[in-house]
Amino acid sequence: MIDLGQALIFGVLIGGVYALMATGLSLTFGVMKIVNMAQGAFLITSTYLCFALWQHFGLDPVLAAFLVMLPMAALGLVVYKLVVERLERIDPGLTIVATFALALVAEAFLALIWGPDQRETNPVYSNQAIHLGPLVIPLAQFYAWLLAIVITVALQVAIKRTWLGHAITAASENPEGARLVGVEPARVGAWIFAIATASTAFGGAALSFLYQFTPDTQDFWLGLTLSVVIVGGLGSVPGAFAAGVMLGVTESLTTTYLSVRWATAVPTLLVLVVLTVRPQGLFTRMTRQDVGS
Amino acid sequence: MSAHRCAATTPRLTTLPGEGRCAGRNSPGRTGRRGLLRAVAVIAAMATALVGCAAAGASSGSSSGPLTIGMSLPLTGPAADVAKSGYQGYQLWAAQVNANGGLLGRKVALNVLDDGFDPNQTGTDYTRLISQEKVDLLLGTFSSLLNAPASAIAARQRMLYVEPSGGTASLFTRGFTNLFFAQPGTTETLPNLFIQWFSSLPSDQRPKTAAYLTQDDPSASPAVEIFKSRLQALGVTKVYDQSYDPSTSNFDSIAASVVRSQPQMIIQGAVGNDGAAFVRSLEKLDFSPKIFFQTNSPADDTYPDTVGMRNTEGVFSSEAWSPTASYGGNADFVSTYTQMFGSPPTEDAANSYTAGQVLAAAVRAVGRVDQNALADWLHANTVNTIVGPLKWGSTGVPVGDGLLAQWQNGTLQVIAPKSTATSDTVVYPKPGWSN
Repeated sequence: MIDLGQALIFGVLIGGVYALMATGLSLTFGVMKIVNMAQGAFLITSTYLCFALWQHFGLDPVLAAFLVMLPMAALGLVVYKLVVERLERIDPGLTIVATFALALVAEAFLALIWGPDQRETNPVYSNQAIHLGPLVIPLAQFYAWLLAIVITVALQVAIKRTWLGHAITAASENPEGARLVGVEPARVGAWIFAIATASTAFGGAALSFLYQFTPDTQDFWLGLTLSVVIVGGLGSVPGAFAAGVMLGVTESLTTTYLSVRWATAVPTLLVLVVLTVRPQGLFTRMTRQDVGS
Repeated sequence: MSAHRCAATTPRLTTLPGEGRCAGRNSPGRTGRRGLLRAVAVIAAMATALVGCAAAGASSGSSSGPLTIGMSLPLTGPAADVAKSGYQGYQLWAAQVNANGGLLGRKVALNVLDDGFDPNQTGTDYTRLISQEKVDLLLGTFSSLLNAPASAIAARQRMLYVEPSGGTASLFTRGFTNLFFAQPGTTETLPNLFIQWFSSLPSDQRPKTAAYLTQDDPSASPAVEIFKSRLQALGVTKVYDQSYDPSTSNFDSIAASVVRSQPQMIIQGAVGNDGAAFVRSLEKLDFSPKIFFQTNSPADDTYPDTVGMRNTEGVFSSEAWSPTASYGGNADFVSTYTQMFGSPPTEDAANSYTAGQVLAAAVRAVGRVDQNALADWLHANTVNTIVGPLKWGSTGVPVGDGLLAQWQNGTLQVIAPKSTATSDTVVYPKPGWSN
C-alpha cells in the first residue's frame, strides 16, 4: 500500500510538471488549431533565460519566470506577426514547416550562446523532500506542481471570465461570427500566441531545476507536451492538466509495478489508445467542425 | 556534411563527442535535431578552416604536403557536450606533433567530418575520408556505437584504426587485426579492480545485497552484467535488477523502487547525466547505500555540481586516465591543455590524445605510412602513453585494466592499481547524503 501511495505521489507530481510544460501548446494547438513546432524551443529558451538569471544574479528560477515571461510574450508576439499570421493567410499547413524552422534556428542560437554543455539550476530545494512517515514528497516537483495548478487556474479564469477569454473562445470556434461582433481573430491570435509563449517561462523554470538540459532538449518536451494535449483534448487547459497527471501516474505505476523500460513508452501508447478510442481527447466534447469554416 | 582540414596549430573549441563516457545521453530529448546543430558546426568548422587551414597548403595525399589524418566525430548531436574535450585532445596532440617537426618530416593536418552521432553517417564519413579525401591515416571516433561501423570500414579498406573509446567487447570479436583500443582497459575488464578490492574486505564487512541498474547502452550494460555475475559468485544477493532507456529523465520512481529493495550496494551503469539524476533522486529519498558504483558519470565535469560536491564522497567509478598519474608526458599534457583551452582536461581529452600518441609512435617507428606495417608494429610493441604503457592482444584489446576511482574530499582519486593510486585510503562505507 505504501508502494502504491508513493507511486501515486510521484506520478501526480511529475504529471503536474508535464501539464505545466504543455500549457502553451494547449493554447496554440488547442484553441488556435496551430501546430506550433517551435513550442519546445520556446520552452527551452525560457529555461535558458531562467538559468541565466539564476547563474548571474542568483535569482530563484520560479521568481525568474515572472521576469522571463515578459520577453517571451514579446517573442511570441513577434513570431506571430512576422510568421504565423502571414502564413495562416496563405496556407495554415505552412505554419508547421515555418515553426519547425524557427525551432531549428532557436536551437542553433541557444547552442551558440550557451554551447552544448549540460546545464541545470540548483536551488536549495532541488534535492530536498518532505517526509510524511514512509512517504516522500520531493520539494522541487511539489513546487512545480503548485505552479502548474496556479497557471492552469489562472488561464482557465482568464478564458472563462474575461472579455479576452470570450474573444479567444469565439475566434477559435467561429472566426466569421466573431468578426461580425467586432472580434478580430488575427488580433486575438496574437494575444493567444503571446500568452502561450509567455507561459513557457514557468515550464522552463521548472525544467531548469528538475532536469539537466541542452539546446536539443526541446525535442523531447515537444513530443511529450503534444502527447499531453492530444490525450487531454484540444483547447482544454484543465484537460491538459488532467492528461498530464494521467501520463505521470501511468508512467510511475509502470516503473513501479511493470518495468522501467516500458515507462518511456507510456505516452506514446496512451496517445495511440486515445486517438483510437476517443480522438477528440479524453476531456473535451466532440463539436461540429463545419461551423467556423 | 562539413569538412575542415587544418594544420591543427590553431586550437578550436567546437562541440565534439567523447566516449569512454558518452554513448546514450539521458537528458530529455537528446535524440533529435542533429541537423541543426550540425549546420552550426558547419559554419564554425568553415570559419575555423579559414583561419587554421591557411597554413595547411597542399592537398591530402601529397607526399610533400601535410600528413592528413582523417576522423569523423559527433561534433553535433546528443554526445556533443561531452565530446568537446575529446576533440581538443586531438587538437593538442596535433599541435604538439607539429611543434616538434611533425611526423616523417611532414606537418600533421586533421581532416574532421561531423557525423552528428549517427552511426550511418559515421560509416559514410570514413568511406569518404578514405576513398575521396584520400587521407594518409585514420584516428577513431567516440563511443562503441560509432566506432563499430568506422572500424569495420577501416578494416575493409586495410587502414590502421586506433580508437580513443569504444571498449565494448563485441568490437573486438570481428577478427580485425588493424583495430587498437587506446585505453588501458575495456568494458569487460572494468569491474576487475573493484571486484579485487571488494574481495579483500573481510566477509563479515561485505555488503550482502546489491541493486543493479543500467542504462541500455553498450558501454554500460555489459559491465553491469559482469558485476552481477562476479558479485553473485561472491555471495552477494541481487535484490533489484533493471535497465532503462537512454531517454529516461525521471528517476524518482526508479529510485523509490531501488530503495524499497533496501540494497546495501548499488551498481549503476551510468554513461551520462543519468548518473547524477539518479543520485539526486536518492538524495530526495534520503537513501545512501554502503557502496555506490557508477560506471562513467562520476567523471563528468558537471557531476559534482549536479549532485553537490559533498554528495560525491565515497562514490566509486572507473577511469582510463588520471591527471595526477606519473606517466611520462602526463603532467605536460595536463598543463598545456589547461593553458590552451582554459580548463583542465577531461578523460575524453586524454583518451584522444592517447590515440594520437599511439599512432605517432607507430609511424615514427615504422618510418613510413604502411598500414599493415603499422599494425604489425603495434601488435609487437608496447607504447608509452599518458595512460601508461599500452600493449595489445591480437584483437586490439589492451592488456590490462583501467583505474578504480573514488570521490574523496572533492577529488576523484585513483585507488587502484597501487602503481597509479593517488590515494591509499578507501572511503567505506559511503557516508550519507548531505542536503
